[in-house]
Amino acid sequence: MPPLDHILIVNAVLFAIGVMGVLTRRNAVLILLSVELMLNAVSLNMVAFAVYGHVDFGNITGIVFAFFIIVIAAAEVALALGIVVRTFRNRATANVDEVNLLKW
Amino acid sequence: MEDGVTATQVVFWILAVVMLVSAIGVVTAGNIVYAALFFIAALAGVAGIYLILTVEFIALVQLLVYGSAVVILILFALMLTRARERPQALFGRSRPIGIAASLGLLAALIGGIVATTWTTPATTSAIQPVGLQTIGDAIFTIWIVPFIIVGVLLSIALDGAIMLASPDEDDN
Repeated sequence: MPPLDHILIVNAVLFAIGVMGVLTRRNAVLILLSVELMLNAVSLNMVAFAVYGHVDFGNITGIVFAFFIIVIAAAEVALALGIVVRTFRNRATANVDEVNLLKW
Repeated sequence: MEDGVTATQVVFWILAVVMLVSAIGVVTAGNIVYAALFFIAALAGVAGIYLILTVEFIALVQLLVYGSAVVILILFALMLTRARERPQALFGRSRPIGIAASLGLLAALIGGIVATTWTTPATTSAIQPVGLQTIGDAIFTIWIVPFIIVGVLLSIALDGAIMLASPDEDDN
């Protein structure tokens, strides 16, 4: 298996790419995709810690966390896409900088 | 660590490069459908790395839930919300700031990872694969209450999504 810090560095790069997507994209669905990339990086990190640590520490909580993260991400995607479809129907746009209904 | 580069490490780096290149495609592609297709490749790379880490259960869940269900939802939303009249600028005005901020975050993360001494088993061959039964035991004994709560949460979220996306009764 690859050393732990190689896996962590790959995950850090994936997380930073996700952050870049969130900060640069305009389309709400593409921002959501970037958030999913960040979630994937984090759960990969947790699984790596669990696999490398369960000989010494004897628990696999990180793997269970990755499982829960996947389930919650599915719920989050469904809700967020419902909101995006709704916004598109009301405002005819899916760009986050054109939706300023709550801007005071 | 074992001496030399093992076959597993070669496969890991191939998967990592595929995953990262696809992820860059997701955030830079000029066509939103291409971005979604790059996303599928990135998810497959993540699932492959789960397999290398010997947690095949999470790899399968990843492919089933993310690789199919979430991707189909996202493709539907992309198609339903495509602006028809005018071509859209895909990036906001703050793009240079965003790129700089993410690069700064990356430098901080990598600096932290390199500077830390990680407590890991002396040889990677000491790492035992985590069996499916171990994961099942953990989920259905220690984590049973969160498991039930997350099930309730998922059904509430899906009901809410249907409510949000369905047309109002007085719309037509």
